[in-house]
Amino acid sequence: MASPWQPDFEQLGDFERLVDEHQSMVFSLALRMTGDRGLAEEIAQDVFLELDSNLRKIESPLHACHWLRRVTMSRSADALRRRRGRSMDMWVEIDEQHGAIEEERASPLGTRVEAMLATLPEAQRAALILRYQENLTPGEIAATLSAPLATVKSHLQRGLKLLRAKAATQLKEYVRGA
Amino acid sequence: MDNLAPMDDFEHDLLAAMQRQAAPPGLKRAVLKTVVDRRSQDRRRMLWLERLAASVVLAGVAGGAVLWRNIDEQRRGEQAKQQVFTALRITNRALEQMRVQLEERDSR
Repeated sequence: MASPWQPDFEQLGDFERLVDEHQSMVFSLALRMTGDRGLAEEIAQDVFLELDSNLRKIESPLHACHWLRRVTMSRSADALRRRRGRSMDMWVEIDEQHGAIEEERASPLGTRVEAMLATLPEAQRAALILRYQENLTPGEIAATLSAPLATVKSHLQRGLKLLRAKAATQLKEYVRGA
Repeated sequence: MDNLAPMDDFEHDLLAAMQRQAAPPGLKRAVLKTVVDRRSQDRRRMLWLERLAASVVLAGVAGGAVLWRNIDEQRRGEQAKQQVFTALRITNRALEQMRVQLEERDSR
């Protein structure tokens, strides 16, 4: 049955193109930061609504991409902070959510690596997500997170080291031979 | 510039595992619907404010016209008053002259 209301998408032009181009980036960032698909979808919606309010400040398509990354990471951090404030067991919830993701993903290895990523401290996770999902350099990561470059490099180094250690103990593909 | 060391196998695996996932199918529609609703509300609010501003201007113009008419009437009233006073002064002088003439006649 057709909906009685049909939004007039014709008027949205540039904004709709930005949503089309960046929704997977925004959603994936929020998902990997929070480990919660429902929360990630909420965050993604909020981010795009905020973009609509700030469209006049966007100077170029590249600026839009940087802006979306920065705001998504910030909103995700806020959501995690609120969740901690509610005293929920975040890591257990993430593992449960990643169980749900695993059913949809084609690569179990990829899913398990992602589950390990979710157990990292937030700052290291953020740096690694921007490095390996978005292929940003440490300088670009520092700009996105408004963090000092040295701090970002430290997070990347420590986070990667932790991930390797977890992979070596949990995934047979990464267990080193004697 | 960032001088990055070449990625090892583990990092390449991370790159492959962390490719972007597709957004949920309803995300775009939900966002666009909310934006359209919000922009419609904003337009209605702007229209209401414009009508209010136009009403205020009209009220100001009408009030100004009434005030001007009152001021004009007051000015004309002052003018008429001055004319009456002038007429009274003339009459008074004429009466005074008649009185002087009568007194002179009575004294002869």
